[in-house]
Amino acid sequence: MNEKRHMGLQQLASFAETGRTFLGPVKSSKFIIDEERHESVLISSTVRLLESLDLTSAVGQLLSEAVQAQNNTYRTGTNTLLFLVGAWSSAAEECLHLGVPISLIVSVMSEGLDSCIEEVVSLQVPVYNVFDHMDNTKTFSGFETFSVSLGPFHQIPSDAGLIQKKHNLKDVASQSLTIYSLSGRPVKSPKLFRHQAKVEVDKDTSQTPQTLKNSLLADTCCRKSILIHSRHFNRTDNNQQISKPDGFLEQHGAATPKTYRCNDLVELEMGLSHGDHSSMKLVDNAIRLQYQNANMQQGNRTMPFMFDISRIFTYCLPGLPEAFSCVCPGYITVTSISSTTLIKELQNQPVRVVLIEGDLTENYRHLGFNKSANIKTVLENTKVQQDSSEELWINHVLQVLSKFNVNLVLAQGNVSDYLIEKCIHSKRLVIGSVNGNVMQAFAEASGAVQVAYVTQVNENCVGNGVHVTFWGSIPLDVVDMVDRMAIMLKTEGINLVTVVLTSPVTAHMQAKEDRFWTCAYRLYYALKEQKVFLGGGAVEFLCLSHLQILAEQSLNKRNQVCSGWLRNTSSWLASSLALYRPTVLKCLASGWHRYLSTLIYNTASYSSEFEASTFIQHHLQNAIDSGSPSSYILNECSKLNSGIFNSGISNKLEQIARVYDIVTPKIEAWRRALDLVLLVLQTDSEIITGLGHTQINSQVSEGFLFL
Amino acid sequence: MSRFEAKKPSLCKSEPLTSERVRATLSVLKGIVTSCYGPLGRLKQLHNGLGGSVCTTSQSSALLANLSVTHPILKILTTSMQNHVSCFSDCGLFTAILCCNLIENAQRIGLTPSTVIKLNKHLLRLCISYLKSEACGCRIPVDFSSTQILLCLVRSILTSKPASMLTRKEIDHISTLILRAFLLTIPENTEDHIILGESIIVPLKGQRVIDSTVLPGILIEMSEVQLMKGLPVKKSDSLKVALFCASLSGDLSDTGEGTVVVSYGVSLENAVLDQLLNLGRQLVSDHVDLVMCQKVIHPSLKQFLSMHRVIAIDRVGVALMEPLSKVTGSQPVGSLGSISPSSYGSVKDLCTAKFGFKHFFHLIPNEATVCSLLLCNRNDTAWDELKLTCQTALHVLQLTLKEPCVLLGGGCTETHLAAYIRHKTCNEPESILKDEGCNQTELHLITEAFCSALESLAASLEHDGGEILTDMKYGHFWSLQADSPSIVNWPDLLSRCGCGLYNSQEELSWSFLRSTCHPFAPQTFLPHEAAGSANYLTLDCFTAKLNGLQVAVETANLILDLSYVIEDKN
Repeated sequence: MNEKRHMGLQQLASFAETGRTFLGPVKSSKFIIDEERHESVLISSTVRLLESLDLTSAVGQLLSEAVQAQNNTYRTGTNTLLFLVGAWSSAAEECLHLGVPISLIVSVMSEGLDSCIEEVVSLQVPVYNVFDHMDNTKTFSGFETFSVSLGPFHQIPSDAGLIQKKHNLKDVASQSLTIYSLSGRPVKSPKLFRHQAKVEVDKDTSQTPQTLKNSLLADTCCRKSILIHSRHFNRTDNNQQISKPDGFLEQHGAATPKTYRCNDLVELEMGLSHGDHSSMKLVDNAIRLQYQNANMQQGNRTMPFMFDISRIFTYCLPGLPEAFSCVCPGYITVTSISSTTLIKELQNQPVRVVLIEGDLTENYRHLGFNKSANIKTVLENTKVQQDSSEELWINHVLQVLSKFNVNLVLAQGNVSDYLIEKCIHSKRLVIGSVNGNVMQAFAEASGAVQVAYVTQVNENCVGNGVHVTFWGSIPLDVVDMVDRMAIMLKTEGINLVTVVLTSPVTAHMQAKEDRFWTCAYRLYYALKEQKVFLGGGAVEFLCLSHLQILAEQSLNKRNQVCSGWLRNTSSWLASSLALYRPTVLKCLASGWHRYLSTLIYNTASYSSEFEASTFIQHHLQNAIDSGSPSSYILNECSKLNSGIFNSGISNKLEQIARVYDIVTPKIEAWRRALDLVLLVLQTDSEIITGLGHTQINSQVSEGFLFL
Repeated sequence: MSRFEAKKPSLCKSEPLTSERVRATLSVLKGIVTSCYGPLGRLKQLHNGLGGSVCTTSQSSALLANLSVTHPILKILTTSMQNHVSCFSDCGLFTAILCCNLIENAQRIGLTPSTVIKLNKHLLRLCISYLKSEACGCRIPVDFSSTQILLCLVRSILTSKPASMLTRKEIDHISTLILRAFLLTIPENTEDHIILGESIIVPLKGQRVIDSTVLPGILIEMSEVQLMKGLPVKKSDSLKVALFCASLSGDLSDTGEGTVVVSYGVSLENAVLDQLLNLGRQLVSDHVDLVMCQKVIHPSLKQFLSMHRVIAIDRVGVALMEPLSKVTGSQPVGSLGSISPSSYGSVKDLCTAKFGFKHFFHLIPNEATVCSLLLCNRNDTAWDELKLTCQTALHVLQLTLKEPCVLLGGGCTETHLAAYIRHKTCNEPESILKDEGCNQTELHLITEAFCSALESLAASLEHDGGEILTDMKYGHFWSLQADSPSIVNWPDLLSRCGCGLYNSQEELSWSFLRSTCHPFAPQTFLPHEAAGSANYLTLDCFTAKLNGLQVAVETANLILDLSYVIEDKN
């Protein structure tokens, strides 16, 4: 047993320090060098960083476990997680230095974060109807066209919106059939939305302290006048008036001023790109292809379109200039140059396909099959055929393929090289190592059923109508693909989009793919949850100011309010809570402060973290003085060029768009970060079990105790 | 050539408890278990020091299972704790701390072990008969017609395991789920005896705790490929089920040692596959709708079955076999020969469900006493801890059903019991002195040792340097900030007692727990309305605590009684 005193927190803080530069839209990459093997990796994300670090200590393991869990569940938010782990472990340590009992740090921090999470609901922006305007030719193409992109809204007569809303009220059932011919897609039932909004209202009224609510009420009125100055908000304001017959917005407005909403895909993507426009552009193209495809499949659908991220597939081609990155329907892969003639022959006709779940080799057996080692085949006849068993097997495969007239085989696992060669001779193309989702998509679109063995193939398993072509958008002579070439497989209506990622620097390839997926998942969650946060630090800033206000409140009126904060415990801690609460809340807030100043510093508009920190301090004071931080933030956000929440991304005024953040993944990242810190904080000893014993024996001096 | 070594002589040590090393290791062990105790307990990181997985815990079951102890005396202690935990799930730390306290105190008073053991046994009998008697002032009967007490009990268990990292809202949510899961395992029509069903905990790591849920029936995870194949239309109001525990993967069953010689052209694999397909034909002709297999089903057999609109679910896993067999009423089939019709069972319905990123088959039985508790937590460590906690809570509910009463928690039972024993031995020592044949001083010393063991057990709930008080009326547990100013405003500084039953405003007088105070009689006979008065009581499982008390005293007695340790060094 190894006794220790919050070495754990220090360890956490130092691990987290390594990820400081990943925060925010402007990331700096790192080189990780393996001194033993002389290998190096270029990384720019937390997940990759932790993969490359040696985290054998218990705390390091827990950290990487937390990051992995966040990454596996949401694929985003890990940078935030890592940074907050660091910031809050320093904060917890600070509390320890100030003599706050551990149990109190735990309960106040955890309840403080809960309170923040409730508070930031007011900065949620509902996302809906984003696909209504998809039929326009407008696409995501970076800043240049963004000011133009507002155009289509003005082209829609303002009455149209009004009629729509009224219809919704009268007749929910008919809406999908009639009204939305304009957009080709029914709106989410207003009933549902109203319900959701009501829930939020309930929450808000119960949790916002009375004083705050009053000031919010007052604020709603004055803020409207400000918003009208912005061309951007004219329409949202209109919407609010229009939907007043709905009954909820009025009510809602009373509790929280929420005039923001996002119903434009480009605006949403802009906001979620966090500065990575090239990746988001690819995501935009991909989602548009999916949307078009879905529309073609079912002309008058009743199912709303869902962004299906599992049907997006990335293909990396290192060595090409970035400009060659593109998005194509269907499946793109490379094959050896030797099949050129074969593809030429196949490309003008639909071919039949077989999908193999595992490897396509003679020795492959399905998962869970145990091969007996002690079986020996003897030859009774000396004049047997010379064919090896593999040759027999290949002949059998070829027989089956020709029997069902199959010209294309996709296998999820490896394929025997010999078989590929043989198949090319008999005008059949075999492709191995195909992604599982791709297999699924082909199964759906071509009607094929995946099988484990070629022997299983029957007429029902074979799919139809796959087209094989060369994939020509990349001039092949540019690349050093001497013996390989890119081909495209497609089926009528296949729900599959391949994103081809290129990068001239091979070391960047991994990072580029990661960034693409980050953007894709951000958009996916925004659309799935139908809400986003105002981003660019707005939520974190609200948390910061909310905690400051809470801390001051509990300083002023001690011994009140906090009864619920320490869970039904009768310990003395409950009564001394008021004494320590402001301290702990301030420490928690300092974590947000560090987060924000690093964020702003990283975006490079400030030369030092100190400058960034004073800048935040200034706004924080303003926000607290204004009496209602959330409306202060909404205000600042509406001034697009105000600098605090939009700073640094761009200098040109007309190019600034609003920044959005996703909701649940972000909040979960906060929770995970704090959970980890508190878990380590509450740990007082490490117990090393089992075989480690003998090794530890040699270092008895370091305070180990034995059992 | 073999070589013989002379046998080493056995090592014999007398009076093992007097050795400095044993005392030191005992106190380390005590330090570990004491620091883990209670809702504010500190956590321990268990790992192998070689980069293996890290377990963060404060639960006795996880802790004891992973501690490698070397000394025989510690082994006795940990083994009896583990036995207790495996039978009762709860109160493991309670038992371990009490046992350590008893040993330590007995050593300090320096009486002969036999006297200590004799009197400890007597005091234990006193405790048990008091706790079981109607007069007991720290026991509440459980009313199964309301959920209040049961919820408090579950909530207390969840609160006492801080490594699950639950917020207050999450604790409420999980407590409700656990109680619901427990209620789902109770059969509706009871005859002579009740056979409880089972709650299966299904892991869903990485999701929010609040997304956890309870479903009647069984959830079986499935792949997305399986989902694609869809579910066939139901033919009647129930589905006929065949359940296999034998592998249907088509591999040869254990061929034993040696080599099997097969002549060329004969394929054993094909022979087995033919046998499997024959089995498939029988299943189809018997109109089976659903085939489930513990292990793998050969893809060809799966294909054959799905062509005949039979759903095949494989890799169910050994853990689900018993509940599946119970729920469907089918006999697990262990061979590939023909199946007797009596081994088929049935389920009401089968549907699919998606939680997080996982897809599940949801098996809905005809008469459900099996339910699935889909448990989410943010990371692995916290999930493992939460799972153990939920299992403990479910077990405690079962024990409570058998013995429908609970004890007051939060240290109140211990201080109350100590006050009762002190008062009893002080006021009516005659019968004890006569029965056990000891003198007044011995009785006094041993009672003091016993009671202070109980009291310092209660005091182990405090980890942040606070003071422990007890009131002179109920003998309950109160905690106070260290260095508090004066006795006068104690009622303001103290809020509620440990279990939450009494508050400080009702004319009580307090004394420090460790100070020597005059024995007093704590109020017995808990008024009936007491249980209903407070909403958030901290409660403990009666059966588990009672057994823990017995195990602790008996183990301490056993260890005190040891006079030689003989080790075989070969």
